[in-house]
Amino acid sequence: MKADTRRLVVHAPMIVLSLLAVFPVWWMVVTSLKPENEIFSTRLWPASPSLENYAYVLDAIPMIRILWNTFAMAAATALAQVLTGLCAAYALTRWRFRGSGIAQGLIALSWLVPFQLTMIPNYVLATKLGMLNTIAGLVIPNAAAAFAVLVLTNAMRSFPKDLIDAARMDGAGHLRVLCEVVVPNLRAPLASLGVLAFISAWNEYFWPLLLTRRIEDTVVQIGLQMFMTQEGNQWGAMMAAATLASLPILLLYLVLHRQIIDSFMRSGIR
Amino acid sequence: MVQTLDATFALPARAPSRRVLWQPWVYLAPTLATLVVWIYWPLIEAAYLSFFQWNMLPTATPRYVGVENYANLLTLPEMGRAVRNTVLYILGLLPLSVVLPTAIAILTQDLSGPFRSLYRSLIFIPMIIAPIVAAVLWRWLLNEDHGLVNAGIEVLGLTPVGFLKDPSIALWTLVWITGWKLIGFATLLLSAANGTIDPGYVEAARMDGASRWQVIRDIRLPLLSPTILLLTMMTILFGAQWSFVYINALTGGGPLQSTTNVFYLMWDYGFQSYSAGWSATAGMLTFAGFGVIAMLCLRLMKRFAVHEG
Repeated sequence: MKADTRRLVVHAPMIVLSLLAVFPVWWMVVTSLKPENEIFSTRLWPASPSLENYAYVLDAIPMIRILWNTFAMAAATALAQVLTGLCAAYALTRWRFRGSGIAQGLIALSWLVPFQLTMIPNYVLATKLGMLNTIAGLVIPNAAAAFAVLVLTNAMRSFPKDLIDAARMDGAGHLRVLCEVVVPNLRAPLASLGVLAFISAWNEYFWPLLLTRRIEDTVVQIGLQMFMTQEGNQWGAMMAAATLASLPILLLYLVLHRQIIDSFMRSGIR
Repeated sequence: MVQTLDATFALPARAPSRRVLWQPWVYLAPTLATLVVWIYWPLIEAAYLSFFQWNMLPTATPRYVGVENYANLLTLPEMGRAVRNTVLYILGLLPLSVVLPTAIAILTQDLSGPFRSLYRSLIFIPMIIAPIVAAVLWRWLLNEDHGLVNAGIEVLGLTPVGFLKDPSIALWTLVWITGWKLIGFATLLLSAANGTIDPGYVEAARMDGASRWQVIRDIRLPLLSPTILLLTMMTILFGAQWSFVYINALTGGGPLQSTTNVFYLMWDYGFQSYSAGWSATAGMLTFAGFGVIAMLCLRLMKRFAVHEG
C-alpha cells in the first residue's frame, strides 16, 4: 500500500505534466483532420478523418513556398551561426591577447539587448540595403549568436591542446588546424548546436514580422499569423496550417529528442 | 542555459594579457561585425533617436525635441499601465517557471525506469513548438464559443469564460500560454540539478533523524538554489519579452489595453503609430530599468556563489 502511494506521488505529476504538454498539440492535429461537419465535436479522434483542411490551406496560401523559405532561412542561419561561432571560439581559446575580455563581454552581453529596442534602426538599415522581403535579409542580422560562441568556447576549452600544438609544429596554418583538427573532433557539439540553431531560427518570429510583407516571401510563422488574420475562424484549416508549420520540427524531434533536450538544457534559448 | 548565463555573468577571470595580436581579431571579425552592426550600433542609434521626433518616413527629417519624449512618456498613463502589466506578467510567470517545476522536480526525484525518458521527451515538447503555433492552438482550445476548455466548463454547469476577451482575465491567459512553453523545460533543468545532489548528504541527514520535509528544506532547496535563482532571473529579465508574441498575435494589447506591456508598447509606438522617437524613448527607459534589475540579480548570484564555495 505504502509503495503504491509512493509510486502514485512520483508518477502523477509527470503524467499530468505530460498530458498538459502533449494534449494541445494532439488536439491541433486531430482538429486538422476533422471534416467541416465534425469540427465542433469533442471526440478525441475524428469519425471520418479527412485531409480536406490541408487541401484548403495549400490552395489558400503558397504553403510549400513558405515552408521552403523557412527551411532555407533556418538552414542558412544555423550554418552561419555555427561557422561564426567556431571562428570566434577558436580565437578566444587559442590565443591570450589584449582585448579578449572586451570581445567576450561584447559577445556575452549582446543577448541582453531587447530586440524591440533596436528594431527601428535595424529596420531602417535593412530597408536601405534592400533586404526587405529577402531570405538574405532574414539571415544576415542573425549570422552570429552569443550562445553559439559560448557553447563552442566551452567545448574548445576542454579540447586537448597537444593536438593543436602538434599540428602547428607540423607547420599547419590556423585555418587548417581549425578545419582538419578541431572540427573533426568537435563533431558532436557542432551538430547539436546546429540543430538547436536550426530550431530556434525556424521558430523565429520578430525579425521576419518586420522584414517580410508579402506572403510568398515570408516564413511559416508569419504566414501562419497572416492566415489567422484572414481566416481566423476556419478552425480546421487553421490547425492544418499550424500542423504543417510544426511538422518538420516535430519530425526532427522524433528522431533526435535526446540530443535536442540535452543541447537545449546546456545552452538554453532566449 | 546554464552555460550561457554563467558565461554572461562570470566574465573573464583569466589573467589579462598584454600581448597585442592581430590574428584573433580576424577570427572574431564575423561575429563582432554582426553584433556591432545589428545590435550595438542600433542601440546607440536608438539612444540618439529618443531625443527626436520622427514619423519614420524616409522623406521626413527627425526633429530634435530634447528630453521632451522622456518627460511625456514618464507622465503618460499608458506607460504606467504598461509597466504595471510588465510586473504582472513576470509575477504570473514565476509560479509556472520556478515554483511548480521545483515542486515537481523534488516530488518525482525517485522516478526511474523506462517511463522516465518517456516523460522527459513528452514534457519538453512545448519548448520546441513555435510561439505562434502555441498562440494558434491555445486560441482554439480557449475559444469562447467552441473551444474545448469552455465546453468542459459548460459541462460543469458554469458560464463560458472569455479567456481572451475579458479584460480581467486576458493577461493571465497570455501568462499561461507563455508559461506552458516553459514549465517542462524548467522541470527538466531542476530535475537534472536535483539528480546531481550527493545522496550521501540526504542519507546522513536521515540518519540524524531529519524528516522528509527537513531534508527538502535544509538540503535540497539550498543545493538547488543556483538553478532556482537562474530560472528566476531568466523569468524576470525575459518573461515579459517572451509574452510579446502572444500579445501581438492574440490580443493586440487589448481588451482595453489590459494585456499590453512595455515591449508591446515599443512595438505599438514604432510600427503601429509610427512615432519612432517615442518607441526609442520607451525602449531606453525599459533597457535602463532592466539593466538595474540585471545588476541586482548579478550581485545576488555572486553572493550565492560565494556561499557555496
